[in-house]
Amino acid sequence: MRGLALLFLFLLGSLPARAADLAVEVRNAQGKPVPDAVATLYPAQGARSGPIHFDWPMEMVQQDLQFHPFVLIVPAGAVVAFPNRDDVRHHVYSFSPAHPFELKLYGRDETRTVRFDHPGAIALGCNIHDNMIAFIKVVDTPYAAKSGADGVASLRGAPPGQAVLHVWHPYLRAAGNEIVRTITLPRAGGAREIVVVELRNPPPRDQSY
Amino acid sequence: MPTFRRLRTKLTILYAGLFAGVVLLISLVVYTAVSNNVTRLVREELVASGTVFDRVWALRAAQLENGAGLLSRDFGFREAIASNDQATIRSALDNLKVRLGIDQALMIGADGHLIAADGAPVGAISPGALQALEGDGTASGVLMIGGAPHEVVSVPILAPTVMGWVVFAAKLDHAQMTALERLSAIPLDASVLDRDASGRWSDADGRLGAGEARRIGGYVDQAMATHSWAPQVLSTADGPTAVMVKPLTVLAPDAPAALLLSYPMSRAMAPYQPLLYAVVVTALTGLALLVLGSWALARSLTRPILALDEAATRLKNGERTEVAVVTGDEIGRLAESFNAMAAEIGKRERRITHLALHDPDTDLPNHQWLQRRLERTGGDDLFVAALGVDRYAHVRGAIGYDLAGELVGEIGATVRRAHRDARVARLSTDVLGVLFRARDLAAARAVVAEMQARLEAPVRLGDNTVDVSLTVGLASHPLPGERVTSLIERANIALDLARAGRQKFAVFDESLYGDPAKNLSLMSEMRQSIAAGQMVLHYQPKYDLRLGAVTGVEALVRWPHPTRGLVPPDAFISMAEETGHIRPLTEWVIDQALADQRALQEGGLDLEVAINISGRLLDDDGFATPTLARLAGAAGAVCFEITETAVIEQPDVALGIIERFAGAGVKVAIDDYGTGLSSLAYLKQIRANELKIDKSFVFAMASSQRDALLVRSTVDLAHGLGLQVTAEGVESPTALALLSGMGCDLAQGYLIARPLPLNELLTFMAEEERALRTYG
Repeated sequence: MRGLALLFLFLLGSLPARAADLAVEVRNAQGKPVPDAVATLYPAQGARSGPIHFDWPMEMVQQDLQFHPFVLIVPAGAVVAFPNRDDVRHHVYSFSPAHPFELKLYGRDETRTVRFDHPGAIALGCNIHDNMIAFIKVVDTPYAAKSGADGVASLRGAPPGQAVLHVWHPYLRAAGNEIVRTITLPRAGGAREIVVVELRNPPPRDQSY
Repeated sequence: MPTFRRLRTKLTILYAGLFAGVVLLISLVVYTAVSNNVTRLVREELVASGTVFDRVWALRAAQLENGAGLLSRDFGFREAIASNDQATIRSALDNLKVRLGIDQALMIGADGHLIAADGAPVGAISPGALQALEGDGTASGVLMIGGAPHEVVSVPILAPTVMGWVVFAAKLDHAQMTALERLSAIPLDASVLDRDASGRWSDADGRLGAGEARRIGGYVDQAMATHSWAPQVLSTADGPTAVMVKPLTVLAPDAPAALLLSYPMSRAMAPYQPLLYAVVVTALTGLALLVLGSWALARSLTRPILALDEAATRLKNGERTEVAVVTGDEIGRLAESFNAMAAEIGKRERRITHLALHDPDTDLPNHQWLQRRLERTGGDDLFVAALGVDRYAHVRGAIGYDLAGELVGEIGATVRRAHRDARVARLSTDVLGVLFRARDLAAARAVVAEMQARLEAPVRLGDNTVDVSLTVGLASHPLPGERVTSLIERANIALDLARAGRQKFAVFDESLYGDPAKNLSLMSEMRQSIAAGQMVLHYQPKYDLRLGAVTGVEALVRWPHPTRGLVPPDAFISMAEETGHIRPLTEWVIDQALADQRALQEGGLDLEVAINISGRLLDDDGFATPTLARLAGAAGAVCFEITETAVIEQPDVALGIIERFAGAGVKVAIDDYGTGLSSLAYLKQIRANELKIDKSFVFAMASSQRDALLVRSTVDLAHGLGLQVTAEGVESPTALALLSGMGCDLAQGYLIARPLPLNELLTFMAEEERALRTYG
C-alpha cells in the first residue's frame, strides 16, 4: 500500500526537477520510536509553488469519545471537517492562538467545518469530554509528514541541498514543542535523519474533579 | 545495727523504717508505672495523631486540588486565559480564594508569567519552586513563600494542552496548626519545621529556642536519614518532651520541611499529678500514723515491762513489791509470775529471817534476835538473865534430844507466861536469855530469884517428869569504863562465873572477867611474869593426924600482878588450862617447888611437896619426859595432886604417864574427890597413893550426918584400897576431931594454916616444932 503511494507520488510530483526522499526517524532517549511527530521541511531554495495538497482526508473525526487522528497535518487554508460519529454530542474548541475556535454542541452525523488559514499548532479539546484531545498542525510547506508507529516520517520529493527540518510533537519538551535543525539533502537517493526527542507526559486525562 | 537504750525507740524506728521503705517502693512503682504508661500513651497518641494529620493533610490537599481543578476546567476561565484577559483571570482567582478560604491563589501561564489574586507575593516564589509548580500533573506539597511555609497545590490548566497552572496556597500558620492540634486526642503542639540553606531547622512560628531547635533539628535529621519516624523523648525548654516528626512533601526539593508533633511530658503527667500527690500525702500520713501507732504500741508494751523493771529493782533492794497485772497476754502472765515470785521470795525471806532469828528446836527466838531486840530497846533499867539448865548434856542423854529441846522450850514458855514484859531467847543449847526491866539491881535479883524458884519445879513432858536445876547469870547495863558492853555476853559470863564457882546465881563482875582479848593478853602477861620471876608459890601445910605433925605442904601458885594486884588463881589457872598455858606454869611451879624444898631441907625441914597437875597435862608426853628429868633432882618426896577439872581425853596415855611418875617415886594423889568426874572407876584405874576428900564434904560434915557418913565411908574405902586420905577444908576443931575419929590420915585447912609464903612457912614450922601441939 505504502509502496503504491510512493510510486504515485514519484510519478506526479518529481517530474520537473530531481528530487530526494528524506526519512526522519524520531526516537526518544531510550531509542523507542515516537509516533505522531510532525516533520516539516523548508528547503533553502524554496518550496515548489502551487497549492499544497496532502493525500490524507482533511477531517477530524470524533468517534468513541476520541478524536481521530490524534495529529492531523493540514495545509494553510485547508477546510477541516469535524464529523461526529458518536451518539453523544461534542463541543469542540481550541484556545490555541494560531486559530481559536469553538464548535458548539453538535450531534451524531453532524459535520462542522473550520478553515485554518494560518500555520501553527491547534490543540483541540471537547468541552464535554476532557479526555478527548487532538492536534491539527497547519503547515505552509508541502514537505510534511507524520511519524508512524515505527517513528519514521517520510518526506518525498524535496529538492536537494540545504533545508531546515522542523520536528514537532504536541508534547515535545522544547520551545514551541519543536526541534529545528538544518540539514543537507543529497542530490539523489534517500536520506535519513534521526531526531531524538524528549516528550513530556501527556496531560492527565482521567482525573475527575 | 545501732543499740537503743529504749525498746520504744527501737520498735518505732524499726516499724517506721520498714513502712517508709515499703511506701517508697510503692511510690516508685506507681511513679514508674504512671510514667511508663504516660510515655507509651503519648507515643501511641503521637503516632495516631501523625496518622490523623496525614489524613487531614491529604484531605486538605484534595480540597485545594479540587478547587484548583475546578477552576482549571472552567471553560470561561480557560477562555479568559486564552484571550489573555488578565482582569477576568484575577477576578476568578479572587473569587475562588474567598470561596475556598485560602491564602493565595495565582495562575502561572504556560509561558511562565504569573497572574495572581490580590496581595499574592508573586515575586517570592523561587525559580525552583516555579519549576515544581509547573508540572505535567497536579502537584501538591509544602512550599516556602516569603519565608512562610504554605501548603501549595498546583493544577495544570488544560485546554486541552497545558495552558498554565492554577496554584492555591494555604499558609501553614499558627492558626492552621492550632486547628490541627485540636484534632488530636491529646493537647499536643504541632509545628512545621523547615530547613534553610545552611541546614538549620527552624519552625515557622519561631516558637522554638535556638538550642531547642538544634536538638530537635538533630532528631529530625536523623529521622529523615534513617526514615524512622518513631516518637522520641527529647529535652526541651518545657522539660522532657515526646516528639515525633513527619516528613512533609515539599515542592522545592532543596528546602525540606517536616511536621513536628510535640507533647511535653509534664503536660502528659499533669492528669496524674493529683494521683502522685495523693500517693505522697497518703504515704506521709500513713508514716505519721504508723510512727504514732507504733510509739503508742511500744509504750503500751514497754510500760508493763518498765513497771516490772522497777519492781525487780525494788525487789533487789529488798523492798516488798507488786506489779499491777493489767493485761492477760504474755506480759500480764509475766507480771503474775513476777508477783508470785516476789511473794514467794518475801515468804522465803521471812522464813529465813525467822530461821536466822529463831531456834529451830523450840521456835524460841535466838541469840541474834535478842541482840537485835536489845539494840532496839534502850534504857538503863534493862537486865539480861542467862538461865543455864544444869547438866543439860546429862538430861539430854536421859530423856532424848527432842524432849530436851522441848524442856528448854517449856522453860521459855513458863518464863513468858510469868513475865509478860520479858523477852525470852535461847542463847545456846542449854542457856535461855531473858531480857527484862527492873528498877535496880536489887529488884532484878528479886525477879531472877522468883523466876529461878518457879522454874525449878519439876516439868512435865508428856508422861515424864523432869527435875530442872538452873544456874543464873545476871547482867546489868555496863557502868562507864567497863569493857564488856553486851548485856547478853555479860549475862553469859556471869553464868559461867556462877557455874565455875558452883553457885546457883552470879551477877556479872567486871573485875573478875575480862573480855576474851584481855584474857589472851593476861596469858601473855602470865608468861612474862613467869620469866620475870614475879610468880610466887605459897604452901599450905598438910597435918598428919597420927603423927600430930605437919609432914607436907601443898604448893599453890600466886600471881602478884604489877598493875592488877593479886590475880585470883581461879581467874588465870582455868584460863591457862583452856588456852594451853598450863604447861609452862606447871613446869615453873615444879622447878620452884623443888627449889624451895631444897631450901627447906637445907633449913632442916624435910617436907613432902604436893604439886597440882592438871588432867590436861597427863596425856602430854612432851610434859612427862622433861618433868621426870626435873624430878630426878628432887631433894625430898614429891606428890602430884591430879585435879580433874577437865576430862582426860586419852585415858590410856594418861594412865601410862601416871605409871611413869609413880615409877619415878612420885606419889600420886586424887584431888577434890567426891565432885566432878572422879568416880570409883578412877580409883580402880589410877594407881594412886592418896585421896583428897573435897572440902565441900568436910565443911558440911559437922552439921550433916549424911556428909559425915560419906566422909567416913570414903576414908574406909580409901584405906581399903591402900590409899592415904587427906581431908581438905578443915576449919574447925570439931571437924578435925571427927576426921581423927574416922581414921583420916591427913588434914589440910585454915584450922592448921592458910597457904603461906615460904618465909612464913619457915616461921610457922619453927613454931610448930616448938609447940608440937595437937589441933582440936
